[in-house]
Amino acid sequence: MEFWQKLLAIDRRIIFIFVAFAIIVPLFIIAPPGFLKKIDVSLPVQSLYDYVENLPPGSKIMIAFDYDPPTTPELQPMAVSFLKHCFTKDLKVIMLGLWPQGPVQAQFAMEREILVDEKIKAKNLQYGIDYVNLGFQAGNEFVILRMGTDIAAAFPVDYFGTRTKEIPLMKDVKNFDNIRLVYNISAGYPGTYEWVIFAGDRFGVKIAGGNTAVQYPHNSPYVQTGQLVGLLGGMAGAAGYEKVSGYLGKATKYMLSQAVSHAMVIFFIILGNLAYFITRGRKV
Amino acid sequence: MGAFLTLGIISFLYKDNPWYKFCEALFVGISAGYWFCTVFWSQFVAKLWDNIYPTAGQPRQYVYLVGGILGLMMLLRLVPKIGWFSRWPLAFVVGGTAGAYLIGYALSNGMKQVKSTILPLWVSGNLNATVGNIILVVGTFCGLIYFFFSKEQKGTYGKVAKLGIFFLMITFGASFGYTVMARMSLLIGRMDFLFGTWLGLIK
Amino acid sequence: MNNRKISLVILISAIWLTLCSQILLAQEAAPPTGTKFDYHWFDTNRLNVFITLAIVFSAILWFIARAKKGKSLFIRRIAGLDAIEEAVGRATEMGKSVLYIPGIHDMNDIQTVASMIILGNVAKTIARYDIPLIVPIRQPFVVPVAEEAVRQGYLSAGRPDAFMKDNIRFISDEQFAYAAAVNGIMLRERPAANLLLGSFYAESLLLAETGASTGAIQVAGTANIHQLPFFVVACDYTLIGEELFAASAYLSREPKLLGSLKGSDLAKALIVLAIIIGTILETIGVKWFTKLFVVQ
Repeated sequence: MEFWQKLLAIDRRIIFIFVAFAIIVPLFIIAPPGFLKKIDVSLPVQSLYDYVENLPPGSKIMIAFDYDPPTTPELQPMAVSFLKHCFTKDLKVIMLGLWPQGPVQAQFAMEREILVDEKIKAKNLQYGIDYVNLGFQAGNEFVILRMGTDIAAAFPVDYFGTRTKEIPLMKDVKNFDNIRLVYNISAGYPGTYEWVIFAGDRFGVKIAGGNTAVQYPHNSPYVQTGQLVGLLGGMAGAAGYEKVSGYLGKATKYMLSQAVSHAMVIFFIILGNLAYFITRGRKV
Repeated sequence: MGAFLTLGIISFLYKDNPWYKFCEALFVGISAGYWFCTVFWSQFVAKLWDNIYPTAGQPRQYVYLVGGILGLMMLLRLVPKIGWFSRWPLAFVVGGTAGAYLIGYALSNGMKQVKSTILPLWVSGNLNATVGNIILVVGTFCGLIYFFFSKEQKGTYGKVAKLGIFFLMITFGASFGYTVMARMSLLIGRMDFLFGTWLGLIK
Repeated sequence: MNNRKISLVILISAIWLTLCSQILLAQEAAPPTGTKFDYHWFDTNRLNVFITLAIVFSAILWFIARAKKGKSLFIRRIAGLDAIEEAVGRATEMGKSVLYIPGIHDMNDIQTVASMIILGNVAKTIARYDIPLIVPIRQPFVVPVAEEAVRQGYLSAGRPDAFMKDNIRFISDEQFAYAAAVNGIMLRERPAANLLLGSFYAESLLLAETGASTGAIQVAGTANIHQLPFFVVACDYTLIGEELFAASAYLSREPKLLGSLKGSDLAKALIVLAIIIGTILETIGVKWFTKLFVVQ
């Protein structure tokens, strides 16, 4: 009894130490192949992969980077593996952001991960022809509405100050007509929800999302209704896409830490509830 | 610097301390400054100034003055006597957004969701689909009953509403699990930064 | 300027903006060859949406008209409101402040609007007991509205002298900087009651958890579904989703809010009816009813 009561009153800092160990130690361990095989590829992840896989080369994909540095551990791997998949399939990529730091994340992904990748180097990607970064525009969902009629009016210049209308890749892109998919990577507002309402349902363009785990349950009903082609949720979703596309990256690397820390949390939840019910029972 | 600030914020887990307070104050101050600059360049300069005084060869777009005037009206609240002017741009924002969202809500959250909830309660030869459909339909039904405010939640009706709240709590539990995953991910990212990027101990 | 005039301005703005956007859409969609989108003033493919909206809005206007005539519109008591009163009462007993966090969204979010209404009522209650009411704010637009709501609350309680403008504090536009600063307020000023009502995102658990660790009684409410679980586990009472709006209507007895709530109740009743009929017909293999809800 005394033990359980002490357990209930345990200093939370002790739990913090356990969780810290559960996260840090696995970072130094290389995950066994058996563990990697167990990474789950959910249905929404698979359907996004299948959709991109079946697009003809040269199709234009738009990626909206609607997040900032705090959520990069979850979202940057989603961007990197998706970009790698697109460029391997010879798709044209238009990047932009409704968050000020989004296009910076797009640049980081391109410079640090994509353009240095041996397989993609061979493709000899050209800025303005194979991909473009349109930068940030203020105005949240109203920017999306404007893009529905004229993308160049919504984004007059790109990330580097070049006029959008002068960029070869944007020559035959008036609005969402020639865009085969908008893939929104989002950490909040404006994000996937706004893209579904203002681009998908209003202008008929296909939308897919990559969300933080916090956002995922909120947006998953739109997968069931078909308003989203696919949806990646948190680090597990990112790892799922890395697995299915074959570009193992940071999400896969982090999954061992994720799994061990989850096991630790589950253990503490069970222990806490056990202690709660035992001590409550005695009091009664 | 990144490691110093990361450790400073994490030190809050032990207890509130001057190091944390310093990092917090620095974060608040820098972010306020960052947002001021972002808003100035992306809104005032890009949306107003550049459209009124565009580069050579581009036409002037005076329609953007409307936004500029509304912005000025917002600032008038600094002058108490004519501060009420600031309510007009506020009304403009509220009204405009409500108008823009109206159709979106009706279409995306109304029609399409209702259509997807109308499902057969028996799918021949597919027990998974049958059970799934029943849970979806009953859950939606009971949830809607819980949020019906025109009737007291008593008797059988109250029990249905209570079932609705059970469904909601199960949803919240799933949602909570996802958030634990999100928070762990953020911590993993920071630890990777500290032990990998900073100390170089992780390859 | 009174509420009536503000409402008129909002209405005119909304109509004007909708018209402008439609004109822009019609003009600027000068279609390149092969375009699949065709812009019209009226999209017949979405007739079902129009009819549904027409029914719901007619009902709302009818309910508003009834409320204005003084007819009684029943709304059940929201249990969360008792919890708010209890929280304020406890802060009074302890002689400590009440912290009111109106979410992190701007005034264009209806949750913030509802939160401002509840804030006005909370201010009215607090003014009677002479304890400080601290309102930290993230969005600059919200500051004047919150000031006005609290001032009106103190005025209604007959205590305009007790209103302290400095307690309505603009903190920061940055989400986590705001959260960090509010956590700081909780830890340093130790309010006895924390009321978190409005639109919250990733900062919700950070705030609620810190508040719980200080021992404050906490009442939360948001319509952001993904944040509700954190409030449920970390707060003493949570207003779930639409309860936030219902609470604001219940407190203010404002005809427009009451009418809107009753209208939305009618919409829910119609949805329930549609689901029941549709599900029965789908189960026996009849599909035409479901097709009524298909939107191109």
